[in-house]
Amino acid sequence: MESPGIIIAFWVLAAVTVGGCLMVLVARNLLHALVFLVLAFLGMAGLFVTLSADFIAVAQILIYAGSIAVLMVFAIMLTPLAARDNANSLYLLPALAAGLGIAGLVSVVAVITPWSELKGDALGQSDPVTTVSAIGDLLLGRYVLPFEVASILLFFALLGAIVLVHERRGPREGS
Amino acid sequence: MTTSHNPTNAAATEPYVLNIGPQHPSTHGVFRLRVVMDGEVIRDLDMIVGYLHRSMEKLAEERTYTQNIPFTDRADYLAAMSNNLGVCLAVERLAGVEVPERASYLRVIFAELQRIASHAMANGTLVSDAGAWQTPLLYMFREREKILDLFEMTCGARLTTNYMRIGGVSFDPPPEFWPALQELMDEMPTRIDEYASLVQDSEIFLARTRNVGVISAADAINGSLVGPALRGSGVPWDLRKAEPYCVYDRMNFEVPVGRHGDVYDRFMVRLEETRQSVEIIKQAMAQIPDGPHKTDIPLALRPPVGEVYGRVEGPRGELGFYLVSDGTPAPYRFHIRAPSLINLSLLREMAVGVSLPDAVVALGSLDIVVGDIDR
Amino acid sequence: MSTAPRPATPMARQILEHRSLLQRAYALPGEVFFPLLFVLLGGLAATVGIGFLVVAGYLDGRWYDIRDLGNGTSHFRYWAQQQGLPPSVAYLTTALLGGIGILSLVGGWLVIGSWVERRLIAKFQIRQGPNRNGLFGLLQPIADALKLIQKEVLIPVGADRLLFFLPPILIFLPAMLGWAPIPWAAKMSYVDMNVGVVYAIAISSLGVLAVFLAGWSSNNHYALLGAMRTVAMMVSYEIPISLSLLGVVLFTGSLQLSQIVVWQQTYHIWMVILLPFAAFAFLFASTAEINRTPNDIGEAESEIVAGFHTEYSGMKAGLFLAVELGNAILVGAMMSTVFFGGYSFFGLETWIPGYLILATKIGAVYFVFVWLRGTLPRFRLDQLMSFAWKFLIPLSIIQLLVVSVESLVIAQSDLPGLATVGGSVVVNLVLTYFGVRAWANAIGYAPNEMASPPIMTNGVGGLRAAEQIRAGR
Repeated sequence: MESPGIIIAFWVLAAVTVGGCLMVLVARNLLHALVFLVLAFLGMAGLFVTLSADFIAVAQILIYAGSIAVLMVFAIMLTPLAARDNANSLYLLPALAAGLGIAGLVSVVAVITPWSELKGDALGQSDPVTTVSAIGDLLLGRYVLPFEVASILLFFALLGAIVLVHERRGPREGS
Repeated sequence: MTTSHNPTNAAATEPYVLNIGPQHPSTHGVFRLRVVMDGEVIRDLDMIVGYLHRSMEKLAEERTYTQNIPFTDRADYLAAMSNNLGVCLAVERLAGVEVPERASYLRVIFAELQRIASHAMANGTLVSDAGAWQTPLLYMFREREKILDLFEMTCGARLTTNYMRIGGVSFDPPPEFWPALQELMDEMPTRIDEYASLVQDSEIFLARTRNVGVISAADAINGSLVGPALRGSGVPWDLRKAEPYCVYDRMNFEVPVGRHGDVYDRFMVRLEETRQSVEIIKQAMAQIPDGPHKTDIPLALRPPVGEVYGRVEGPRGELGFYLVSDGTPAPYRFHIRAPSLINLSLLREMAVGVSLPDAVVALGSLDIVVGDIDR
Repeated sequence: MSTAPRPATPMARQILEHRSLLQRAYALPGEVFFPLLFVLLGGLAATVGIGFLVVAGYLDGRWYDIRDLGNGTSHFRYWAQQQGLPPSVAYLTTALLGGIGILSLVGGWLVIGSWVERRLIAKFQIRQGPNRNGLFGLLQPIADALKLIQKEVLIPVGADRLLFFLPPILIFLPAMLGWAPIPWAAKMSYVDMNVGVVYAIAISSLGVLAVFLAGWSSNNHYALLGAMRTVAMMVSYEIPISLSLLGVVLFTGSLQLSQIVVWQQTYHIWMVILLPFAAFAFLFASTAEINRTPNDIGEAESEIVAGFHTEYSGMKAGLFLAVELGNAILVGAMMSTVFFGGYSFFGLETWIPGYLILATKIGAVYFVFVWLRGTLPRFRLDQLMSFAWKFLIPLSIIQLLVVSVESLVIAQSDLPGLATVGGSVVVNLVLTYFGVRAWANAIGYAPNEMASPPIMTNGVGGLRAAEQIRAGR
């Protein structure tokens, strides 16, 4: 059913994504890690494209590779000594344990999910021409409350950021 | 602008040092600014000069007065005529040489032509500093080029003219000079209107230059600012009016002064001075008498023992020559009071506390010539 | 001797003696002139013949219908299917052909475009421009590229070698990928994706990272300043771009660029008339996004030398410059597709290939960019920021509200398109005019108070005279 092109694309993109993620862990320079993270994001976007979820793919590029990366750049620039090499951390063991735990959980879920049920007719029937209008309908229909809550959350995050960086004038400087 | 840090600020920045120059597009020569910056805002600024020092004043002590005139060409290389005029006036006062009337008129004409050329350069580079892709500069160069053609026609050189002599000028202009000058003076007012419409009404230019680099009249006087920079701050001080030399007392012209002392005012003062220069040249052309263009003086002129301070209103402001004579053909001391150097000293007041683009525009508005600063 | 002309300098004489193209054509010898005339007449006859074929409908949809190169590829696919070739071969071939087409098109533009820009700016600046290499100096860009290629590529001391190596490549990607969804004719777009508009925005946001890495890795304060300026500006101006495109999308009801063109074709109107403010916001914001005058603060020459690519030399710097130009053309393509009817021109596209129309429009937008560069000074960073956040973004949001109502009316009402769309045009024009004025007044814009000529005086004096003059004599 699947053409060799899709299979090759999947494996290449998977390699790019996983390799990028691994390099994020390995790279000792924070900005190098950031570049590999963006690479991983782009690989993810490619994976979405192979799944015909083009809107999600484009949103992945727009939000993660475009905006989140820039946000991280600013965070790195505004944090003193952020560009230094990452030294060994106190939290190495707990982080390792937590990471292994999450990886185990994901693996278990991946194994026990009955993927085969979603094969064949169910997929073929609901092959939408465009995913955009469906996503739009869902966002402003069924999931309108979470959508609004998220927007309010983002709004308050924006306000918080402004309050944080706003340089208050001292009483002497005011006049 | 807040100038102090808030230590509790979560997203604080650290100051760093930026070297602007010696090779930089907007330092107009080999001149260096050592700037301490906090983000885009300038916290401190040092001016480091001397990259173009040619020891002109010391060299002058080994040469006769006439041999020293070419040095002044190279001091302010954008206003060679005015520099020639300044040193010649000073020596003439020291030695008591009479100048023929025709020579005085020729001197006025050439000094004013030089002022137009120099102001074109100053305003053009200022607009380029403000970011215009050199278009206004090249428009202003069009007329500057014609003026340099006139210089070439008269004395053979375009930039380092070496035209004025002690006791007159070196050559009488050729017959073709006068119609060409008339043609240029007839078209100049429309050309100046062209520059004005290109730049003066551009809102971006206004936004970049209004209330930028403000010098109050009191600060300008305390900093001994001269020339268009001083007049831009509103002080009506022009040596052509205050202490008329040559035949400026016979000319009818006005002095433009700025309203706020910002970069825009200095630009506009230069533009208006160009118009006034055109008027002066037209009057001089109408009044110029026939007669000799120089008096004969001995080649090795020996002025009496004494000292003199001669000054003229150059394009950049008061250009002074302090000469001490010990009775020999060479000056004992030859000092140039360079307007660029003195004007530059106020850059720090203008630039500290503003962002880098404003400082660049403020520097451009002072119209420095590095040859004039370092000599 | 009173009327003797001013003696011409050698350069002036050369310019005077320079003959125009027409004069040169008249002076052509017969063995050149008549073949040329023959070719011209033959071209005219061919045009008439093609016109007849088009009117009679002999061409529509055939593989040799070069008005839309998409016909050829679809016929090729059909033929390959008939021959029993696997579909991947046909798709791969057409994809490769299209890719080569886009690459050579962009490459050609990079060569012609830099020549056009230099010649045009020279005309604006009363200069000649490059005119020595080849006919009219057309080979100048190639000479420049050759010079850049043979220059040494320096890596500054203390630079991060990996991150210094990446940006020239990274920055080239969006400039190339952005061409994918642009429709050149009805069936002629590389990937006619149904999220074309979002894709364009997403791809353009990728350039930010390359710019930042270039500035950061150079270990140079000028580069870092330029990078931070550019990043701050790109992040800010992405919002007006998205908002203005969103207004268009609300009207057309589709994110597909070809659908946006078809919508404009259907209603015989260009989006720029329907949404003038959005078009302005898009143009202005894209000048900021692609670092062109009056918003070229990221590489402001008089302030920070060359901005984020100060330390790059040789062909790496050349790549940055080429991308700058390529981005300008890409923005021109987006702008003409979204706001100026794309490949359509009120019915002309049945006669002339759509890609030629689009190329002409791209050229027109590019001319505007060059014109701006030849005319305007540069803004300051804080002025640009406040222009984006205090002016463009609020007005764009208000416009979006108006547009959403209008688009509902157009979509739901039974009135003819002339009434609804025409009404929207009138409403939008009026609202834009008054809205921009009112908002500008509200944020304190008063240009007339700013320009004041100097005071002319005859007086002489110091501080007291200055005060008297300021007080009004």
